[in-house]
Parts: sequence; C-alpha cells; structure tokens
Amino acid sequence: MPSQASLRQAARLLFGSPLNAALTLAFGAMLAVALPPMLRWLVLDAVLFNPDPAACRAASGACWSFIYVKSGQLLFGIYPVEERWRPALVCLLILALLGWSVRPASWTPRLLGLWISALALIVWMMGGGLGLEEVPTSAWGGLPVTLILTVVAIGIAFPVGILLALARRSTMPAVRIAAVVTIESVRGLPLLSILFVASIMLPLFLPEALLPDKFVRALVALTIFAAAYLAEVIRGGLQAIPRGQYEAAAALGLPFWRTQYRVILPQAIRVVIPALANTIIVMIKNTSLVLVVGLFDLISSGKAALADPAWPSPAAETFLFIGGIFFALSFSFARFADFLERRSPVAR
Amino acid sequence: MTMATVETKPTGTRPAALKQTSLNTATAIEMIGVNKWYGDFHVLRDINLKVERGEKLVICGPSGSGKSTMIRCINRLEEHQKGQIIVDGTELTSDLKKIDEIRRDVGMVFQHFYLFPHLTILENLTLAPIWVRNMTKKDAEEIAMHYLKRVKIPEQALKYPGQLSGGQQQRVAIARSLCMSPKIMLFDEPTSALDPEMVKEVLDTMVSLAVEGMTMLCVTHEMGFAREVADRVIFMDAGQIVEMNTPNEFFKNPQHERTKLFLSQILH
Amino acid sequence: MFNDARTRSIVIQCVLVAAVVGAAALLVTTTFTNLQTRGIPIGFDFLSMPSRIVISEAILSYKSRDPYYWAIVVGLANTVFVSALVIVFSSVLGLVVGVTRLSSNPLAAGTCRVWVEIARNSPPIVLLIFLYSLWWKVLPPVADALRPLPGVFASMRGLMVPSVHISLATAGVVLIIVAGMLFLAPRLAGSLRNFRPALNWATVAVLLLGLWFADATVSMDWPVFAGSNFQGGLELTPELSTILIGLTIYTTGFIAEIVRGGVLSVGSGQWDAGRSVGLSRSKILRLIVIPQMLRVIVPPLNSQYINVVKNSTLAIAVGYPDFFAVMNTIISKSSHSIEGVFIILGVYLALNLTLSSAANWYNRRIAIVER
Repeated sequence: MPSQASLRQAARLLFGSPLNAALTLAFGAMLAVALPPMLRWLVLDAVLFNPDPAACRAASGACWSFIYVKSGQLLFGIYPVEERWRPALVCLLILALLGWSVRPASWTPRLLGLWISALALIVWMMGGGLGLEEVPTSAWGGLPVTLILTVVAIGIAFPVGILLALARRSTMPAVRIAAVVTIESVRGLPLLSILFVASIMLPLFLPEALLPDKFVRALVALTIFAAAYLAEVIRGGLQAIPRGQYEAAAALGLPFWRTQYRVILPQAIRVVIPALANTIIVMIKNTSLVLVVGLFDLISSGKAALADPAWPSPAAETFLFIGGIFFALSFSFARFADFLERRSPVAR
Repeated sequence: MTMATVETKPTGTRPAALKQTSLNTATAIEMIGVNKWYGDFHVLRDINLKVERGEKLVICGPSGSGKSTMIRCINRLEEHQKGQIIVDGTELTSDLKKIDEIRRDVGMVFQHFYLFPHLTILENLTLAPIWVRNMTKKDAEEIAMHYLKRVKIPEQALKYPGQLSGGQQQRVAIARSLCMSPKIMLFDEPTSALDPEMVKEVLDTMVSLAVEGMTMLCVTHEMGFAREVADRVIFMDAGQIVEMNTPNEFFKNPQHERTKLFLSQILH
Repeated sequence: MFNDARTRSIVIQCVLVAAVVGAAALLVTTTFTNLQTRGIPIGFDFLSMPSRIVISEAILSYKSRDPYYWAIVVGLANTVFVSALVIVFSSVLGLVVGVTRLSSNPLAAGTCRVWVEIARNSPPIVLLIFLYSLWWKVLPPVADALRPLPGVFASMRGLMVPSVHISLATAGVVLIIVAGMLFLAPRLAGSLRNFRPALNWATVAVLLLGLWFADATVSMDWPVFAGSNFQGGLELTPELSTILIGLTIYTTGFIAEIVRGGVLSVGSGQWDAGRSVGLSRSKILRLIVIPQMLRVIVPPLNSQYINVVKNSTLAIAVGYPDFFAVMNTIISKSSHSIEGVFIILGVYLALNLTLSSAANWYNRRIAIVER
C-alpha cells in the first residue's frame, strides 16, 4: 500500500507545475484512447490456447494459439520436422554460451576456444553427417539462422574491425588509404545493397569453384558490414588512448602487436563499450534483412507459416512475436552493456 | 654517500667526440654529433655525450631546451636525424631488432608515470618480463614482488594504478622498469608531476638505485638530488649542451651566463 | 634486410598494393569470362531503351514505355521523397520525445522511454512488416474511413491528406527567394549561432511581397468522400504510408536519444549560470543550451539522416518502389546486373556523400563562428 508521502510525491510529479499537469493530461488522454483497444485485442478478446482455427476466426482479438501451434515452424522454418530437436538444442547452446560469456569471470582465452569448439558442434548439429541425417543450409531456418548469423558475423567482424581500425591509423600511406576506402565505402552503402551484391553478384565475380553457398555469402556480407562499423567505433577508442601508454610500452621493449593486444586495445575497447554495444545491437537487428536474399530467417519462416490456409493468417500476431524475439535479444544485450559500463570505473 | 664517485670521471665541457666506435665496454651511452629537427625547429644541435657505466648524470635546463628529447632519443622514442647514438655497444638505426634489444636493456620513468590503468600493479610489473623476456608467470611475479618490496609498497600489488597516490604510482613505475633488469635507467622529470610531499619518497628510491651503481640519466630540477648523487650535471639550452661539470663546480662556479641565470631562477 | 623499419614499411605496402591489384584483376577477368560464357552483353546502352517495367506508384510521372534511365530517376525521386519526409517528421518528433524523456513527469517520460526502447531494439524491417500487416486489420474500408484529423482520412486504401496546389509562377518566385536566402547563407549560419529563427520577419515580408507581386495562387485541396471514392487531396497508398510511418517511428527513437544526450551534455552549470543572470527557463534553453547542444548533436544526427536514406531500401519489404526496388526489378528484367550494381553503389555513395558534406559544412560554420 503506497504511503501518504509517496502519494504526495506522485501528485507533485504529475500535477506539480502547469507544464506537468498539461503533460499528464495530454499523455493520459493519449493512453486512455490507445491502451483499452490494444489491451482488448492483445489479451481480453484474444484466443490464447485454443488450438482450433475456427476459434480464431470467431474472435475479434489476437490469435495467439496460432503462434503456439506453429511455434515449431516459426522457430525452425523448413528444417525437417523429425529433426527439429537439433536446431532447438543449437539455440539453447548458443543462448547458454552467451549467458556464460556474459560473466566477466569467464573472459579468458579459454572462452575463445570454447566458442570455436561450440561452433564446430553447431555446424555439425545443424548440417549433420557423422551419424546425423544431413541437412543442407538451404533447409536451415528460423531462430538458429538468426542466432548463428549474428554470433558468427560479429565474432569474425570484431578482429577484422580491429585490424581495419589499426590500419586506418597506420603510418604507411598505402595501408591507411586501403583501410579508409574499405571502411567508408561499406559504411556509405545500405546493408541491403551489400547483401544483394554478395548473393546475386558474387556468382558473376568469382569462378564457379570458389563460390560459397547462399548462407555463407550472406554471412560474408554481414561480416564485412559489421567490420566496417566496428572499425570506426574501435578507432574512436584508440584515439582516446594517450600517447604515453604507447611510449611506456615501447620503453619496456614490448613489440607492436604485444603492445596493441596487452596494453592499448583493452583500454580502447573499454572506452567505447556503449558505442560498441549499439553497433552490436544494430547487427542483431540487421540479420533480419537476410530474408531479402532468400535466406530462411525468422521473418521468412513466419511468412511461410502464415501461408497455411487452415488459419485466418494472423500476420500482426506473428510479426509481433518475431519482433518480440529480436527485442528480447537486443534489449538484454543493451542491459548487459550498461552493466559492463558501470563495472569498469576502477581504472584511471 | 655524497660525491662518492666524482673522481672516477674528470670531465670538460666537451667530452671526447673523437672516438668513432665504442667497443669499450666501460661506455654505456655515446652520442656523437646528434641532431634532430621537428619540421623546421632544430631541437637538438650537435649533441656529443659519453656516459660511462655506473655513471649518474643529471640534466637540467629551461623547458623546451631539448633535455627530454635527448634522453628519449636514447631508447628511440624519438628518432634523431643526424649523428650517431651508440647504446651499450649497439648503434641505433632504423633496424627494429636492435631497437628492441636496446629498449629491453634501457629502463625509462616518465613524468606522468604512464602505468597501464587496466592492469593491477602486479600485472603492470610482470607484463614485460612475461611477454618480452619470456619468463614464466611465477618467476615474473617473484621478481615483481621483490622490486615492489624494494620500493616499499608490496601491499599494493593487487590494486589498480588509479587507487594509488602519485608518489606510489611513480615508485611502481620505477619498479616496473627494474623488473626488466635494465643496464641503464632514464628518468624524464620523475618528480615534476608530484605533490611536494611525495617527491621525497620517489627521490629516496632513486638515490638507493644510484648507490647500487645503476647507470642513470635524470632530467630533473631537483638540485638537491643532483648534489647528492650526480657524477656530472649537464645544462642544456636551445637544443645544445651548454655546460657540463661535476656538481660541485657546476653549482659553485658556473661558466656560462645562461647557466648562471637558470641557476639563479631555480635556486632562488 | 627485413628488420629495417623503412624497408619493412615499403615491402608491406608493395605487397598490399600488389594484392589489391591482383584481386581486382582476377575479379574483372573472371567476371568477363563468366559474362561471356553466359552470353550477357555489357554496357550502358540499355538505359535509353524502353523499360516495360511496372512502377506501382511514383511522385514523378511514369509510363512503362519510358526508358530505363527514366525508371531509375523515378525510383530515385521516390527514395528522396520518402527520405526527406521521414527526416523532417522524425526530427520534429525526435526533438519532442527526447526533451519529454527528460521531463520530471513520470507518465510522459515513461511513455517516451517505451517508444525509444521499442524503436532502438526492434529491427526496422520487422516493424515495417508488422505495421503493413496491421493496415488491413485495424483500418476500416473506404466507406467508413477514420478521420483522425480534419481533412485526413485513413482507410484500407491508404491515407488521404489535403494537398497544396501551387501555381508554377508561385513556385518560381519561391525558388528565387530561396536562392536569395541561400546566397545569404553565411549570415544565416551566423544567426543560427544564437538560435535566432532564421526566417525572421524581414524575410517573411519579402516573401509575401514577392508572392503578391507575382499574383501567386496557392490553394488547398481537401479530400472529400464522394460515393465510393475520394475526390481531391493527396492519396498515400498503404505501402507509402507504412514506410513513412514505420521509418518515422524507428528514426524518432534514435533522434530522441541524440537530443536527450545533447541536452544532458550541456552541464547543469550552464543552467545555473543562466538562472543567476535572471533568464527564464525557456530563454536559457533557447539562448544558452540549444546553441551548445547543436554542436554535440549535429554529427550523430547527420549519421541518422544517412541511415534514413539507407533504411529507405527497406521499402522493398512492403513493396513500395523506391530506387533500390526499381533497380532490383531492372536488374532481374534486363540482365544488366553489373551495370545495375554499379549504378546502385554509385547513387547511394553519392547521396551519402552529399549529406555528410553538407553536415561537415555546417559543422565548420558553427566551429568558426565560435572563435
């Protein structure tokens, strides 16, 4: 039960000044108009668990039972039904690993090894072979595709971005120019056009033998895109490191790469954690674009599920569900970044 | 301990610039006709200097006189454009391997400490022994603790630099250099950024190093320190070595007008 | 000797240049052989041939017998149109939302926070597809169209809004005056320093006088429901409305954060100082805080504007024919994929370069004025 004081406090915040009173009235009115129909559609008039399409046809609210019934197809796309336990395990594995990696205590070189071996396991689980039924990448779909693309693209783009950032600060003009041209032209282009080039143009650019499949092509495009953006963020961090740090490392005899790895980058990355987190969130969201080049991500599997004529095609619910998954991923990552930022003030 | 080693090196204002090569193992550093420019600005003009092993030099002069630049040339934090610098028998050229060798054997302490803020004190100290000298972590930590005891702050080993006072940080910086067992130590105004009450603890550390016979080049305005431990005092102005003498002579009987002016300003 | 710093630097650079040239040569030769084996011709001659592609809606007039280059221009115009509207709407809304987030009123600040979090954490393409799917679910058929504002109708068929008809002569006069103002741009930028409204009374008077002399005709055209359809006004199709609304919601979230960061970047000391000389809250905001804030927010704001142009490619997800969608159609129709890709890359690079050099110019202006 709220105390008298907190009630008075709330009243002061809501109506304390003419401006606050006006804001309260305006926003109150807006919410009063918008919230009830939303609530009715979302919950009160919605079909929650009744797995009968007819119930959905009859109801005026949302058809959540569709999501419930079709969850397998929504999450795993056209992956063979009897093998769905494999992508499900892969998703759990990736999420568990992400959760594990969040703990600062587990940030050791061993973590990298863990991820690499996990990745091998994931590829085997998804693709099959060695006792499992083979499933080509063209049949991969849904959440595991989104997760794999995100994790692998960012994982590869991060070191590449660091190299690009260092190259852009190099004293060698040729190296610097190459980095600037790469970074700026990638950043100047919409991701869709890069995906487009990778998926449709690569067959023309490359000899047949070198041509990777569609999944890998999209992955390459996402990686290049992420690397260019991460490079700029990291460069910002490098610029914030005082020259004295380089000099102290040089005076101790540390060679260039050791200096970067042990002294400069750990500090530079800490400086840019907020910007880095934003870039990574953008990348999580960006993986949703691969549907345009025909990969079977969450959106495409949603569209496929909607095509079932037995159901009244509850598109809004489906895309709300998919949006919710992306939201959960990016939002929790953002909170994680806040935590990291708060955690690191000891130094300096 | 005062003036213990003065007689080992009688010096004139212009030491031998004639010897071209230095296979003489008694010579730690030799600079022959060193010149350096920043664009059009002539920072170092014909520097000739020979430092024997175990010798302690104090370098003073007004700001912008090139004294920091000169010692920073010795471990190639700055590149000289003309002349020769020979450190421990190895000439400094653009040969990266030789630069690395020299940096390993020459320690440096900076005005602003430049500790690595993301590493603990212990990690600051073990970084170079592990990654440059290829020591095991255990050995490196043993050495680090040894030197932390030397500079009298072993209890701070697990803290971060940001948690230490300026004087403590500077002592850590000295210990960090010592962990590489350098043959030569360069000090670039080690006490200028410190609050007055912390100057002494750093100077004490430096004096004890001097007593042990370390070859030292110190850019400093601590004239008490110069009197106590220096074999020679160098006065620089406008990129030149104006005067070089034993501390006794230097303070009692300065030869040049510029030296006199400088001393009158600094000694009040 | 490879240990020498200079030699090493030269060797590394030579290797890099050789690698780049080699890769480029390999790409070009394989591309040509690939094209030859598939019998695909190369060259930009096709641009003047009739395209015969369908562009469902366009702000410029377009017929399917028009040549390819005109189809490209029409698509580009759509992109510029959408981007410009989204930039204007989301800047205004972003300012409001960003400042409201800083309000002490929990209801207002909370609602705006929800908006920002949704925008920042959902993929724009999902947002667009979701809104598009809502269109038929939420909106009534034409006959009982909603009227959220006077003169605005919302129905399954899209949005009807009043349009402004300006005679050609009027447009000319406006253009001349705008050109004149651009000529006075340095003064204008100077006045922005104190955040005086750039359009002061003198300019307005000159504008009105000019319009009066030119015998200007400006008329509003209100949409009216007549029987089974709307007469007059401007019709925004569901596709166009979705992309405008969706991208505006999305971009507003980011701009609001930039604005909020900008306001917070001006230390509370500035507010205290303003209060100590007796300025009112709104005057402090206008004279002290906003001018300092502009410097902080212009660079990130500009990259958001560039993002709008890039995100407008998502129009393809709801079927609005922007430049990218048109190029996509052209490439699949004409099989001139190499040329098409070069046009796409060139156009987006040019658009973004234009935007960022405009921002750089503005940045320099406020920086110089500061001294």
